[in-house]
Amino acid sequence: MRAFLFFGILGFGVISCSKEKVGYLPTPYALDLPSHFPKMVIPLDNPMTVEGVELGRHLFYEKRLSGNDMMSCATCHSAFASFSDSAKYSTGIDGIQGNRNAMALINLGWDSFFFWDGRASSLEQQILEPVSNPIEMHLSWKEAVAKLKGDTYYRNQFFEAFGLQNFDSTHAAKAIAQFLRTMVSGKSKFDVMYKIENNLPLSAWDLSVQITNEEWAGYDLFKSLNGADCFHCHNGPLMRVAKFSNNGLDQAFSDIGRGAVTNNVNDYGKFKVPTLRNIALTAPYMHDGRFQTLDEVIEHYSSGIHMSATIDPLIEFANQGGVQLDSQEKQLLKAFLLTLTDWDFVNNPKFQEP
Amino acid sequence: MKVIWIALFFVTLFACKPKPLDPLPTPAETVRILVNPTFGLNALNLDSIYQGPNGIRIKVSDIKFFTTLLGYQNNQLTEVAYFDFREKGNVMLDQTADFNKFPSLSMVLGVDASLNHDDPSAFPNDSPLNIVNSGSMHWGWNTGYIFISVEGKADTLNDGIDNFDLSFSYHIGTDLYQQPLSFNNLTWVKTGDHQHSLLFKLDMESFFFNPLQPIDIPNEPFTHSGAGLAALTQKITDNFKNALQLP
Repeated sequence: MRAFLFFGILGFGVISCSKEKVGYLPTPYALDLPSHFPKMVIPLDNPMTVEGVELGRHLFYEKRLSGNDMMSCATCHSAFASFSDSAKYSTGIDGIQGNRNAMALINLGWDSFFFWDGRASSLEQQILEPVSNPIEMHLSWKEAVAKLKGDTYYRNQFFEAFGLQNFDSTHAAKAIAQFLRTMVSGKSKFDVMYKIENNLPLSAWDLSVQITNEEWAGYDLFKSLNGADCFHCHNGPLMRVAKFSNNGLDQAFSDIGRGAVTNNVNDYGKFKVPTLRNIALTAPYMHDGRFQTLDEVIEHYSSGIHMSATIDPLIEFANQGGVQLDSQEKQLLKAFLLTLTDWDFVNNPKFQEP
Repeated sequence: MKVIWIALFFVTLFACKPKPLDPLPTPAETVRILVNPTFGLNALNLDSIYQGPNGIRIKVSDIKFFTTLLGYQNNQLTEVAYFDFREKGNVMLDQTADFNKFPSLSMVLGVDASLNHDDPSAFPNDSPLNIVNSGSMHWGWNTGYIFISVEGKADTLNDGIDNFDLSFSYHIGTDLYQQPLSFNNLTWVKTGDHQHSLLFKLDMESFFFNPLQPIDIPNEPFTHSGAGLAALTQKITDNFKNALQLP
């Protein structure tokens, strides 16, 4: 009896100080980034783990996160469209359409603002919105979490990912964010061109890629100040700059974009500059999906620019309607834009439905 | 046996006792470099209207520039400092350093050639030269950075009607246009218990309408430092350099 008491008290003394969660041993996730990419900054409060990423993938494709169990994140961000929506506007579970085109989910780990108007300042924050949005998945997070807690797989997976059983929406958002941060696209013809241009080491795959004269000429045109003049807003390995811009779509705005977030008239008509990666797969184009084809987009910048109070000064040929490309130049530019397609990215089994 | 029980009691009691706290370390000394854009004697606000001596009216939408290799003699203050008025306000540099070591300051206006051609993805994440931070200030095609970027719109008709239909965009880059700067007898102002600040002003009236070489905005709305616009590029560089002053 005394021995029992002795070890009992000793054990209590030891265990009472322990903060370890028994059975919670997440595996750090090692991001495999392209050699020419910058490092990705991972939020300190959401470190990447193998278990978190896998949970995030399941949640991304989980239709029970919608009010009628029919719609998941992937419904409007499908792999075949480079994780965007081929419809002009996405339609929610109640048949209601939004007024902006779903953005492609590519290399989001380097972004610092999200949605076309930048109203979310983190991926975790962005992810929380579509589930409860009445015109999208239309399910309160309270109900969504209750559904997940009723599923043995999710109870286990949340515990393995975060070491807790009483998980909530923030943990779901963190897991999906971890998954989205793994969705890195950096293996296209353009990437080889970028490396060659900057004298960066080439991999065996890079060396096997054939780049045509038309593609190089299109790239030159893309960068040329007197050509297509695209590089001001689309450059670097991420093929975008982090800013909001009015790219001359309208003289008057039916959607004021960033201006609705900042309440600043100088931001009216400005929208997030998207990446051009996989641009051939992400039609339709612009925040409102007004252009169905790359040819229409090229024509816009060539001759369809509208002046307005907030037009980006970098659209330097705005006062003549655009950069005025001839038909051959348009073909070359399109040839270059097609080099931005990364098939490994869209076909990566790690990004597909589990 | 009682001894064992008493010992166990104290083991249990003190097992969770936190360690005594170490004395707080003395906070490090920090310095800040601030740049206040002005239009003449008045503070300049982005997107506000300012009128030049020739009646032309302008709205500045962006002012950004790099300085590199900031230091005094053998003491380097920082490798790079970046000013982005719209995104970062008037703080160009905020970092740990002892202001006493910098009674004067030399720097390169622009990105020194030793840094200008490195892989922009390879700089540390917190470096302004990392492509994530410098995206719109990096020219892949020129294998280097835009040193100075001033953008905005102009109303070229002095008719009292707002019609800012002319965009201007001045982008200075390439090693040719790096400019050495030095400022002596600096007055560091104490702005916190362990912080000192150095204030510059950037007079954009002097930049645009320098009496010796004003920028003819209607006829000189753009430069990207190409060979065909060398004279304008040099003028922009000189005017900007002269506009950056100690108050």
